[in-house]
Parts: sequence; structure tokens; C-alpha cells
Amino acid sequence: MRSVGCLFSRPITVLLQGGCFLITDIFKEHKGFGKQIFLLAKNELIKTYKGAVIGPGWAVVKPAFTVFVYWFAFSVGIKTMKMMKVNLGSHDPFSVDFFTFMFIGIIPWFFIQDSIVQGAKTLRNNRQFITKVKFPVSTILTYTGISRLYVHIMLVVIMYIYVFFAVGPSWYNLQFFFYCPLMFVFFLALSWSTAPMSAFSKDFESLIVSVMSGIFWLSGIMYDSYSFDQPLKFIMLLNPINFFANGYRNCFLYHRPFFLYKTEFCIFMAEFAVVFALGIFNYNRLRKKLPDVL
Amino acid sequence: MSEAIITFKNVSKTYILYKNDQARFKALFFKPRNPKTNKALNDVSFDIYRGESVGIVGDNGAGKSTLLKMITGVAFPDTGEIIVNGKVAALLELTAGFSMEMTGRENIYLKGYILGLEDEYIKQIEEKIIDFAELGDYIDQPVRTYSSGMKMRLGFAINVNIEPDVLVVDEALSVGDASFKRKCKDKIKDIISAGTTVLYVSHNAESVREICPRSIYLRKGTVIHDGPTDETLKVYQDYKASLKKKK
Repeated sequence: MRSVGCLFSRPITVLLQGGCFLITDIFKEHKGFGKQIFLLAKNELIKTYKGAVIGPGWAVVKPAFTVFVYWFAFSVGIKTMKMMKVNLGSHDPFSVDFFTFMFIGIIPWFFIQDSIVQGAKTLRNNRQFITKVKFPVSTILTYTGISRLYVHIMLVVIMYIYVFFAVGPSWYNLQFFFYCPLMFVFFLALSWSTAPMSAFSKDFESLIVSVMSGIFWLSGIMYDSYSFDQPLKFIMLLNPINFFANGYRNCFLYHRPFFLYKTEFCIFMAEFAVVFALGIFNYNRLRKKLPDVL
Repeated sequence: MSEAIITFKNVSKTYILYKNDQARFKALFFKPRNPKTNKALNDVSFDIYRGESVGIVGDNGAGKSTLLKMITGVAFPDTGEIIVNGKVAALLELTAGFSMEMTGRENIYLKGYILGLEDEYIKQIEEKIIDFAELGDYIDQPVRTYSSGMKMRLGFAINVNIEPDVLVVDEALSVGDASFKRKCKDKIKDIISAGTTVLYVSHNAESVREICPRSIYLRKGTVIHDGPTDETLKVYQDYKASLKKKK
């Protein structure tokens, strides 16, 4: 009976202590669980879209309609918003039609919005994995995040077809493979804080949901966040959503490298470090209390 | 004596009872001042050795569930230390922890990975589990299409077939119809006679006596007695009798 012992990859001694989690615990929970994370991510998608006639088509219909509404309101309704003049720091402003400008910026926004709102709700929605069985809890946040990433990549493909013909391809497009994983990890690390806190208190969850529509208008999705005078220009740099909206525009529209605007890049990286550290801190602080409060 | 498979060292666990949602929200940022608490376990220490069958008795709210949850790794102690050396299979909430959209087969793997098993090993026991659960072709259907009996059968089959080092059994367990129930009982007996460590939770003195030579009696989170089952049950029953007299 003990002969199977050699097949275990991980030591199976479980040590539970009253003290703190180690910093590496989130990574440890992921070790050896990689395949399972992708399988669970796939199932998360099935769960979201099953039972509908066009199924995953809804992942496209909703954003498409949103894009149409904003385009209609700003370009057709408010007739002044047909062309955008973006201040990229050179003498002549970068000129682009409003639809292209907005479309490229709003695609990362859809992912960001879902990541913040759904990410905060994830642990509460998957409480059976926390209160009933032993489960690597932080992987729940990872696999739900990956399922959103699938949807995001689908939207990016659609967007790229448009970009290919409207703007034209460029080597700078490849920076997508820098911005997209960074965006995924940034909002995953954010959910290490928000998800346990929302599980703890429903008020915190409601707080996040309520501020989201405001955050949309405070971010440079529909307008150019570079276009302000100081100090507002600097304040806009503090919003990490601007970093990604402008980052996607760097890839597909402005065709400039991600490190060109050094202040923006450095501010974001500092914020990233803070969010990451806070995420680990909050997750470790609340992880052991989760089974008691959910 | 062989090595200890489960060790509890001065384990305490307190649940904080928040007055309302405001207090709960506040507790996210500040430590609550003089909160109402419920001490579920109070300085509990014991060792359980490989191959032992230990009964855990006590009234509702004595801390039995909290204790089991800690052994299965769901709940965590506030202070103290718990060491579990091996795979724990819990026959507590059999239908919990399934991913509803995944098929029965995929759920076998999911459960296996959570327990730290390798693909190769799961493959070996996969057929045994499917046979035992009597699911037939349903094994490749999503678990959400299962009846509650089928889910329980699958849950039971997975837990008993992973060759656990520790088996946690709640007596109040129900697994479908009479014939399957008998099959389960036989399987549990097989596991016990194979030398697996068993923790058995029950209100029923007779069934504890039948299975476990040693028992632990918990009252309000404290170990009142830990010893041979006959002794423990006597303490437990004396206490119950004294309560009745008071009334």
C-alpha cells in the first residue's frame, strides 16, 4: 500500500501554524497546479456562457454595443468629437479620428473593468472551495483571471483586424506582449487585496462596484489623458488604467516604445510594486480567516 | 509506539462574532476592541499514531467540526501547531468541492491534484473510483447533471480510493440507498482493517465503541478526557447524567 509513495511530487506533510503566511505562499499554492488552472479557466468560461444560443458570442456583443454607443454619442451626437489631437510631446499633435482612438483604448478597459469587479467578487462566488475543502485559494483568482484573459485576447484579435486596415501593422504592435501580461499580473495582484476584503465585508464589494463607472470617466479612455496642463497632467499619470489605455495606443496607434515616456513608466512601476506588496500582505493577513467568514 | 500521524500542540481557535456589518467592515482595517468571541477550541493537545482508530465524542458545539476542519486543512488555528503527516480523506461533505461544469472524470483529477497526487497515480485509481461509484457512462458528463446521490457516490468513491493515510468519518454521513450504504460501511471497515488511521465522529456511543479503542471527549472546546473508549464514554455519560439531575 505504501509503494505508491514515490509517486508524490510534493511533500505531503501539512503544517498549520497560528502565525503568518510566508511571502512565497501564493507561489507555492500554484506549484504543481498549472494544468488544473487552465482546465478550471476553461470551465469558468463554459459556466459563464452556457445555455445561451450564441454562447461566447456574448463576450463580443456586449463590448461591441458599448463601443457603438460611445461612438454614436460622441461622434454623431456631440458633433465636435470627430478628430482627436493627441499631445505626444512633439511639435505637431498626433491626429487621429475619434473612433480609432477610443476603440484601441477601450479594449483594455473592458478587461480592466471585469478584472476589478469580478476579481473582487471571485472568492465569495467560489466559497465552496474555501469553506468545504482544502483548496489552493489564490489559484481561484488566477483561473478566473485567465478565463477573462481568453475573452480579452478574442477582443484584441477583432481589434487588430480593424487596426491592420485602419492604421496599418507595425513592429510596435509586438509590445502587446509586454502590456497584456503586465496588465494581467497587475490586476491579479490587485485582486489579492480586493477579493479577500470583499469576502470579508460585502460593503467593500459594493464600494468597488459603485466607483467603477466613475473610474471609467476619470481615465483617459474617451479623451486624451496627456492633454492637460500641469499639475493635472501629472495626476493623470497616477492612474494605472491610463498607463494601459495609452500603452495599447503606443502599440497600435502611436507606434512608440513603452519606455519613451519615462515619467509615466516609472510611476507605473512604482505603483505596481506597491500593489504587489499590498496584495501579498492582504492575502496573507486574511487568508486564514476566510473559512470563518464566508 | 509508531510515529505520530496527527499532532495537535496547544491549539486554540476563537471565532469573532461581529455585532453587525459595520463592525465587520471596520475589522478589515482595525483590530476590533473587546469583540464578542466564541472559543471553539481551547488549548487542545493530542497525538494520534499511525494505524489508530480514534473516536471523537461531544455535544453539538463542542468543537468537533472545527477540529476536523483543521485536520482536513480547511480551517486554521489562531495559536498552536497542527502537524498532519499524510493524505487526509474526509467523508464529511461529500458533494462539496466539485467543479460543477467539469465532468466526473475531470473532478477525480482535480481532487487528486489538490491532494498532491501525480497524473500517473490518479490514472491507476481512476477506474477503481468509477467502478465503485457505479456511475457508468455518466462519468464523462458534467457533474451538474448528476443527481445528489450520484454526486455523493462519486465523492465517497474518490475519498476512499486514494488510499488515504488518515480517514475522517462523520457518523451522520448518508450516501444514497441501502445497498450502497452497506457497500460504504464495508469499505470503511476494509480501510480500518488495512491499518489506516481513522477519526470517527459520532453521537452514538455504541458505534464508537465498536470501531475505536481510543476516544477523545470534547466539551466547549476543551479536551475533558482522552483515553480508552470505555473510560471516555463513562465520563461523557456521567456528565450527561449529572446535567439531567440538575434539571
